[in-house]
Amino acid sequence: MPMPDLDLSFVDQTVADIGRGPETVIPILQAIQDHYRYLPREALERICELTEITPASITGVSTFFTHFRHEPVGQHIIHVCNGTACHVKGAERILDALAHHLRLGPGEDTSADGQFTVQEVACVGCCTLAPLFQIENATFGRLTPQTVPAALDAFRHQQDSSQKRPSRAVITPNGATGEIRVGLGSCCMAQGSGQVHDAIERVLSKSGAPAVVKQVGCVGMCHQTPLVELIQSDGQSSLYCHVKPDDAEGIVLAHFRPRNLARRARYAVSRLLDRLHSNEWNGASIAAASTVHESPICAFLGPQKRLATEYCGQIDPLDLDEYLRHDGFVALKQCLSDSSPEKIVDAIRQSGLRGRGGAGFPTHIKWETVRNARQPTKYLICNGDEGDPGAFMDRMILESYPYRVIEGMAIAALAVGASEGIFYIRAEYPLAVQRIREAIRRCDQRKILENGTSGRDFRFHLSVQEGAGAFICGEETALMHSIEGRRGTARLRPPYPAECGLWQRPTLINNVETFALVPWILRHGADQFAALGTDRSKGTKVFALAGKIARGGLIEVPMGVTLREIVEQIGGGIAGGRRFKAVQVGGPSGGCVPAELADTPIDYEALSQVGAIMGSGGLVVLDDSDCMVDIARYFLRFTQNQSCGKCTFCRIGTKRMLEIMDRICTGRGHQDDIQKLEQLAHQVSAGSLCGLGKTAPNPVLSTIRYFRDEYEEHLNGRCPAGKCKDLIAYRVNTRCIGCTLCSQHCPADAIPMTPYRRHVIDLEKCTRCDTCRQICPMDAIQIGPIG
Amino acid sequence: MVRLTIDNHEIEVAPGATLLDAAEQLGIDIPTLCYLKGYKPSTSCLVCMVKDCQTGRLVPACATPAVDGMTIESESEELALVRRTALELLLSDHAGDCLAPCYFACPAHMDIPRMLHQIGEQSIRDAIATIKKDIALPAVLGRICSKPCEKGCRRGAADGPAAICELKRFVADADLASADPYAPDCQPPTGKRVAIIGAGPTGLAAAYELAQAGHACMLFDDQPKPGGRLRTEFHGQDLPEDVLDAEIHQILRLGIDLRSNCQIGAITLDSSLSALMPLDDMHPKFRLHAKHGSTCNDLSGAFDAVLVAWGATDPKQVERRGFQATQRGLAIDQNTYVTNRPGIFAAGNAVRGSGLVVRSVADGKEAAQSMIDYLAGRPIRNHGRIFSSRMGRLSPEEMADVLSRASSAARSEPDCGAAFQLDAATEQANRCLSCGCIAHNHCKLERYARIYGADPRRFGVQRPAHRVIGRGGSVLFEPGKCIKCELCVQIAEQAGEPLGLTFVGRGFDVRLQVPFDGSLDDALTQVAAACIAACPTAALTFAHQHRNPELVTLKTE
Repeated sequence: MPMPDLDLSFVDQTVADIGRGPETVIPILQAIQDHYRYLPREALERICELTEITPASITGVSTFFTHFRHEPVGQHIIHVCNGTACHVKGAERILDALAHHLRLGPGEDTSADGQFTVQEVACVGCCTLAPLFQIENATFGRLTPQTVPAALDAFRHQQDSSQKRPSRAVITPNGATGEIRVGLGSCCMAQGSGQVHDAIERVLSKSGAPAVVKQVGCVGMCHQTPLVELIQSDGQSSLYCHVKPDDAEGIVLAHFRPRNLARRARYAVSRLLDRLHSNEWNGASIAAASTVHESPICAFLGPQKRLATEYCGQIDPLDLDEYLRHDGFVALKQCLSDSSPEKIVDAIRQSGLRGRGGAGFPTHIKWETVRNARQPTKYLICNGDEGDPGAFMDRMILESYPYRVIEGMAIAALAVGASEGIFYIRAEYPLAVQRIREAIRRCDQRKILENGTSGRDFRFHLSVQEGAGAFICGEETALMHSIEGRRGTARLRPPYPAECGLWQRPTLINNVETFALVPWILRHGADQFAALGTDRSKGTKVFALAGKIARGGLIEVPMGVTLREIVEQIGGGIAGGRRFKAVQVGGPSGGCVPAELADTPIDYEALSQVGAIMGSGGLVVLDDSDCMVDIARYFLRFTQNQSCGKCTFCRIGTKRMLEIMDRICTGRGHQDDIQKLEQLAHQVSAGSLCGLGKTAPNPVLSTIRYFRDEYEEHLNGRCPAGKCKDLIAYRVNTRCIGCTLCSQHCPADAIPMTPYRRHVIDLEKCTRCDTCRQICPMDAIQIGPIG
Repeated sequence: MVRLTIDNHEIEVAPGATLLDAAEQLGIDIPTLCYLKGYKPSTSCLVCMVKDCQTGRLVPACATPAVDGMTIESESEELALVRRTALELLLSDHAGDCLAPCYFACPAHMDIPRMLHQIGEQSIRDAIATIKKDIALPAVLGRICSKPCEKGCRRGAADGPAAICELKRFVADADLASADPYAPDCQPPTGKRVAIIGAGPTGLAAAYELAQAGHACMLFDDQPKPGGRLRTEFHGQDLPEDVLDAEIHQILRLGIDLRSNCQIGAITLDSSLSALMPLDDMHPKFRLHAKHGSTCNDLSGAFDAVLVAWGATDPKQVERRGFQATQRGLAIDQNTYVTNRPGIFAAGNAVRGSGLVVRSVADGKEAAQSMIDYLAGRPIRNHGRIFSSRMGRLSPEEMADVLSRASSAARSEPDCGAAFQLDAATEQANRCLSCGCIAHNHCKLERYARIYGADPRRFGVQRPAHRVIGRGGSVLFEPGKCIKCELCVQIAEQAGEPLGLTFVGRGFDVRLQVPFDGSLDDALTQVAAACIAACPTAALTFAHQHRNPELVTLKTE
């Protein structure tokens, strides 16, 4: 409904601030939406009056990106993550539970009181916390349908108390002898590390303990968050996992004993030790304090090799001086003082570095092409539009090592002769955007990206462009369209961006991780980098390890390590004692590698041979309770939903494929559907214009290749993993003692209450929400085939 | 200059030329839907895919720059399959009937909407031409036909079908009563001779078609008067003899040589005659052994082709005459009407045993078309099968929309035996919902679907809704026919239309829209005609074109 008295002065101000060119459309729309919380029609018309943006452009762009809303929404938006990890861990049930709790009717997304709007999002990149949702800046992870109401209550409570919360004090203790590091990546924050950080600060200021508290980037061990590491003056380090704010006092005082508070400390320590002896492992108290050399942390770190994530968990992401102390900008300085652009490109060539965004294109070829281009204006783009569900490497690198990426970009700029660089970061990563902006500001302030130190003329200007919710914008031509203020559709290559890119100029586009590796390569030499890895895949690769794994997290391993080593050694095997079934590698463009092929090494060619791709680095581990047909359908639904809609094969072909998958998963499949699916998949792959369409059939093809029997079972009306709702039934077995818990919790009233007698589930009413099975203390609910 | 090879032909093109340009220079026709010279290739339809043999990849010819040393393949089974799939995908998301449902319901595939439109315009002379293009005996059928066309009429699901059959009779009667009944133009004589055995509805219809193509037809019948079963199965009040005689006369006057009272004994291959024929004439020559009255004579004439249209015959007798038989009659190739003896065709009840008269008339026409192909030395096409996207049943909303653009008059028919008056005929004709697409035969999607043998029902999914946007204005838009080629968006943008057009949404749901809820007339103030001409289908049209299908302008190529 248009508001008759909408104040449009903000629009005028925004246009004055941002500009009037056609390319300003997305930043202007983002500002307008931030202000009005949606895009009022009057505001859009006003923008067209004030700028060169046409009605066609603003309409086309604002409806292309899913972040833009044309209707008012509830006061708070609940973003329910539907990433891969969340999907396999039951995101759908969380959605059902939200709908039930907020009393949303079919097709409704906003609660009647206007408080909450529920929105599904592709992936927020907090896969180790799956399933989860975000409200405003708060993340609620590891949800179950039963904990959803509590999470909403917690949010309401947080809202109420947010005004009263004291601002974070900056403490500079005298004579500090130690350091307490608290990981403050998005995942850690979501698990409450912000509160832990505050609690430690309070303890330090109250007790005067001789230590400083320091925020560091992602520690990688997302399965252990919130994580606190204490470094004593002798360098000894202790790591605490699953720390709660209440634990802060005990932890601090156990290691940093203030002389004048000895009694109190002794008391605190004994309290802590008591708790340790009780060995609770449910997060209600401190789970473990261990040195980094102890397992399982040791095992988690074991085969890892940190290049892009060097000094993981040790340095404050935004502390420029600390970065400088850790060899920061040394490579850039070297390049500025005694390396010609040719030599830089040569070093990259010798290192064997290949693009970490997915396809593995040799990095030096892009650099060389842009360097050789004769146009005076060239652009550099850092592709941080990491949209693969199940991947969060780029987010973590941007959040934790902003200066490293900036340095890599600056070296690239020097090598190719560009003076303008753009970070394109997806809007789902607000912390990354914030830290990169701040890091750029600090670099500018200190004139790091200008040539102050040596005789070369170098000036590199950096800016940040936020994405607006379109996976396709990870594709480089679509990304450039979106920077130019157009709909994010892909276009045919050639011409390649390196020849004719942003604004028709030669443009170097590399992925975040690729840039992050550059300083290391130049500092240590190409040979050292090339010594790691396999014949054709050099160096390391960062992976987001998630799914049905005991220890999920952000890992960096040398190329050549096998999937099995990652799953078993680093990941600690399958959680909950289930059977390892497959690893989904490469997200929606990748494939499922079955457990039998887990000895496949991490290598671009080896992975593509088994029907997967390196991709940007999402590894989602699947166990025997995962239905491979459902996984394939999940990815296909994702790509189908994210298709830009330009070319026939992707726009309609993926839709037709999905319809067949839907048929199969709901028991309505035809006997020739597998064959039809394969045929169409090959044609969609051959006929699509860009990488999204070309690779969209991969998850389907790879699961048909390795798990054809599961497809056939579905055609016969059975889902062997018991996942596909339309093919399973919940039943109560003889173990039932009639405790009535299931009946009390069933949201669909499908279980009549029969105290002390075996309960019966009404299959007509049952929504397969799994609540009863989870709540049953007797393991009396079982899933079986229908009929 | 850039040198490359397309289908093994070398070509030199200027730098910057695309593969499509290069192919055009070579005279190689690559199909395109979304491409228009002078505009940026939108590479959306992807039916112009060709293969780069060096990389093995398929690339869109319209936008791929020619590079020195390229080897391109523009036709192959693989490419045909990909193009067909692209077309089938587009058709699976298409709401439209290339041809009206009545077209398929009528065995003779008469262009009923055109006839009705012409009656509505009171152009009776045009209407009889439309009818006689497909039906040789309209006055006859107007009286005795069981009207399958009306059972297929979409309006039948609402308030009764259009009175197609009565209106056809009205036109045919008016024509026969006129001083100068309609006679089609005939091609100059080809020198080819055709024997048609049986002057029933099949034989007459075939003779009518073959004569128009310039072939000399000799029509044999064992009865004293032509007409076959029309004279035995129907009686005076249903089919007055004078009507039958008059209509047959209109056929025979095209120069058909009728031999009545003739029994055909055998059809033999005349090897002596074949030997005398010029070398380039590949057809076998036939000699008919006919018994005329009581005398038996070997018909001296030699024939280049023979049509068996002798009506229902015992299969044993069929075999005795040297033909393969089915349980019903002669065995033929369903697509071509060819019997087991090359050069001899068969149609009508000689094949089917029994059937509607209109089926026989249709058979006669189609068999004749096959014979025309055969006599021209071409491969014989399947003339009965024609490509069409089909909407099928309409939803109540869709029906309400299509009803709103036709006359709201109730169905009425003249009293028993009487005929329509002109005014009543006009009113009834205007009840037609004009179901077929006005771009039929001008639509690129239809053209290539036909060429590549696309099956619109390959994916068996629900079609999109049929909607028409812009009613009341001068420009109409049917979203269900839009293939998202982007041409109209580009044309409007280049012309600097203040409002213009844009795509909204993305992926499968992407659709064309006028910004800010404007009307199409607001959007296209200067370039409506250019957009409509460029539209590869009939998604964008002028409202006035729907009132007169003849006004469909040729599409820009």
